[in-house]
Amino acid sequence: MSVKYVPVQWNKNKWYYNFFMVAGVAGFLFLFLYVSPQLLSHEKSINPQVHNARAFGACAFLMLSIILCIGPLARLDKRFLPLLYNRRHFGVMTAFVALTHFGYILDWYFAFSKSSKYETLIFSNTSYGQIVGFPFEAFGLIALVSLLILATTSHDFWLKFLTAPVWKRIHYLIYVAYISVAAHISLGILQDQQNHAFTAIFLVAALTVISLHVIAFLHERKSGDPKAQSDTDGWVRVCEASEIPEARAKIAVLPNGDRVAVFRMDNKLSAISNACAHQNGPLGEGKILRCLVTCPWHGFQYDVRSGRSPAPFTEIIPTYKIAVRDNVVLVDPNANPPGTYVEPVEVPA
Amino acid sequence: MNTAEALVDFVRIWFMIGGVVAAFFLVIGIDRIDEDARGAYVFRPLIVPGILLIWPLVLWRWWVLETGRDNPDARFHPVRSAHGVAAFSMAIIITVTVIIGLSNRQEWPADFEPVRLSAPEGTSQ
Repeated sequence: MSVKYVPVQWNKNKWYYNFFMVAGVAGFLFLFLYVSPQLLSHEKSINPQVHNARAFGACAFLMLSIILCIGPLARLDKRFLPLLYNRRHFGVMTAFVALTHFGYILDWYFAFSKSSKYETLIFSNTSYGQIVGFPFEAFGLIALVSLLILATTSHDFWLKFLTAPVWKRIHYLIYVAYISVAAHISLGILQDQQNHAFTAIFLVAALTVISLHVIAFLHERKSGDPKAQSDTDGWVRVCEASEIPEARAKIAVLPNGDRVAVFRMDNKLSAISNACAHQNGPLGEGKILRCLVTCPWHGFQYDVRSGRSPAPFTEIIPTYKIAVRDNVVLVDPNANPPGTYVEPVEVPA
Repeated sequence: MNTAEALVDFVRIWFMIGGVVAAFFLVIGIDRIDEDARGAYVFRPLIVPGILLIWPLVLWRWWVLETGRDNPDARFHPVRSAHGVAAFSMAIIITVTVIIGLSNRQEWPADFEPVRLSAPEGTSQ
């Protein structure tokens, strides 16, 4: 986390996360390059340039597959949430690994022409009208550019500058990248009939990614947040007060599509926006500790009474007016300006 | 000029404009539209690669914030509806692509011994 773009918190979890990530990449490259050449069907003599290019390319594909599994896994089972915590570093490293793969390819296959290697990459194969021999490099380029945009816009400045919704839309490029990588591999290295081991690894990884995404979407649609029901005087009903456990929240979808999270703390209720100011993570799935709810995605904290992060942090989120009538929790669907204090409402005995 | 040269020149010009935008934005603009950036300089070089890639978006947001057209409530409307579209699009496109790729794999004769051909005269490889 940072205050005014100066890091103030770099906890042990982040160090462990990064350590395991770097160790995993180093271990994979070592395995690919030196331990199991037969398994990955590159036992025939190839020069180190091609060998390295294949190792970094395979590594980037697996890293991208793992990154894409983290989101749906965390939605299906909260025990995977810690993997989400520092996914940004995972993504940046994937972009660097993919860039290294590109460098090796460019400096071997396209470096011996009279034209520049970048021009050679573009004009060396222009058979876009056929499947066999299709210039699969184009898909690799699309994936690389997508990954570079994701990596270079990963700093928190971009989230604040672009706003989380715009930033999220840009970061949907991860799906474009994965589809392009799948096409790059299918029309590229998979055309090598000898490479059965890598074919199997690729199919299992791709199938896992797309299955998890579809399962997570269906799961979310089935057990999604309930809609708040209209009540008198413009208020909406969220739930019964007794349904909200201590230090936890109930989430409801308001008529305008926004989500409100109603928390219970010391037998009093407070309502805040369900969207974290950082990446719009689901605050209502967090737990209150010492008046502060922690976002389950990246650990941002807010006082549920005021929607303000504790000092020195400066994030603020909207709050809502709340009332309890006949044990029913009512919320004014018109949000207060971010950071507005609202007196908590006592739950009747 | 052929297409490849034109494309490479386009990328070069894109980055050059991005460099100019980055210089103006990081020296003048960022302090005007983001109070958290005032007095913070170490992080600014980290922003440069992003500006080089998406400078039209940077100019648009700079203009929106500078002219007071920003809707502060908009940052609390998460993008949720696109998850399903992304999941199913990815599943369908990848499945079709893999089937096309695998069904067009070329068969090589198993008993064929490769023969090294001499390089044509005048080539370097």
